[in-house]
Amino acid sequence: MTIFIDNFAALDLHVSIGSQTIGNIFGIPVTNAMITGAVGGLITLAILFYAAYKVKRGRYNRFVGLVQWVFEGLLAQIDSIIPDAKLARKITPLAVTIFFVVLINYWLSILPGLDSITMNHVPLLRSVTADLNFTVALALITMVTVQIYAIKHLGVYQNAERYFHNPFKDPIGAFEGLLELVGEVSRGTALALRLFGNAFAGEVLLIVVALLSSYAATFVLPVFMGFEIFIGLIQAYVFFVLTLIFTALAQASHGAPEVLEHSPVAATKTAAQRE
Amino acid sequence: MNNLTQFAAANQSIFGVLGIDWKLLLLQIVAFLVLVWLLGKYVYPWLMKSVDARKAAIEATLEAADEAKQTADKAEKEVARMLQQAREQAADIVTTAKDEAVAAVASAETKARQHAETIVANAQTEIQKNVSAAKRELYNQAIDLVAEATEKVTAGAVAKDSINDRIVTNALKETN
Repeated sequence: MTIFIDNFAALDLHVSIGSQTIGNIFGIPVTNAMITGAVGGLITLAILFYAAYKVKRGRYNRFVGLVQWVFEGLLAQIDSIIPDAKLARKITPLAVTIFFVVLINYWLSILPGLDSITMNHVPLLRSVTADLNFTVALALITMVTVQIYAIKHLGVYQNAERYFHNPFKDPIGAFEGLLELVGEVSRGTALALRLFGNAFAGEVLLIVVALLSSYAATFVLPVFMGFEIFIGLIQAYVFFVLTLIFTALAQASHGAPEVLEHSPVAATKTAAQRE
Repeated sequence: MNNLTQFAAANQSIFGVLGIDWKLLLLQIVAFLVLVWLLGKYVYPWLMKSVDARKAAIEATLEAADEAKQTADKAEKEVARMLQQAREQAADIVTTAKDEAVAAVASAETKARQHAETIVANAQTEIQKNVSAAKRELYNQAIDLVAEATEKVTAGAVAKDSINDRIVTNALKETN
């Protein structure tokens, strides 16, 4: 036991919540996550541009078929979640890009050498999904987009009415609005932290498993890598679906109350009004 | 461990500990929006077009299949109707043929019976004639025999030619 603890303590395990700075360009810090993120972005661009080029030329192969199949599945999902066909087409670029970017960048986190290749003792590569800057950025973009579409659909005043009510005239409504406001913030935060938490935990898990299993890592790691590939797919899909659900909810907030009364306060209020 | 040390250093904000840098955040937002714009402008329209075309092709195929099914159903119904009609016509023809056959047989029987009756009647008439002729012959012969016998009995007192037919006839009638 003592030997094990001594060995474990001797392991050179460096885990950093934030991405690490490698250098600076024009005063902007260049982090390891940025480099991997740029690679992930380029891979995403390359795959999708290649697929689009082939589709445009009518030259299909298995890979293009796979991309097209995934794209078609995502489109079907968008159409089923967002009833407004025009809005569905408008939100498609954002939602689909989120899916592909998150998926590919998450999968990059299982690349061998992601933690072992270092520059000045700093890992050169780190998945951008394990960087809060990226996940917060995605969550911000999503929440802002949702608000933009909500304002377009409901108008500024009606959209603001979702959150702000006169507490003297409608105390329950004011409280509900407050909850809604807190809900919006928590949704965005959860969106960012969920992806970050999973990706970061996945990376840490792989590093710890690699260190603990030592020479057996060759056999043990692939199992965890497979698991991470699966988790990456789930996370990309969850982010994609949540983006759509938030958009649909914001759109239909006042349009169809019987469908949207998802919060207990709203449901109680509606029930009281019906009585 | 490093992070715990960072947390312990109270002079660093929570964002700093979590690695959130506003410049990097802004850069990530801009980079992602550029990516969305690029893909939305040059990639997704083609993929959407192909998906729409495929959907349209599938819908057209489904419609054609539906139409073909409807045509097949219609043809099947038509065939069934024609078969039924043919069966009914065949049944009618058979019934008519049977009726006609029965009528022909009945007519033939009637004709045959009439013909037979005619033949029988003719034969009876002929027989009757023959019988009458034979009777007349027999009668004449009887008269002749009576006259001859009378002549013989009377030993020539009464000539055969003088015996009146009427007398003989009356005598025969009385005999009868």
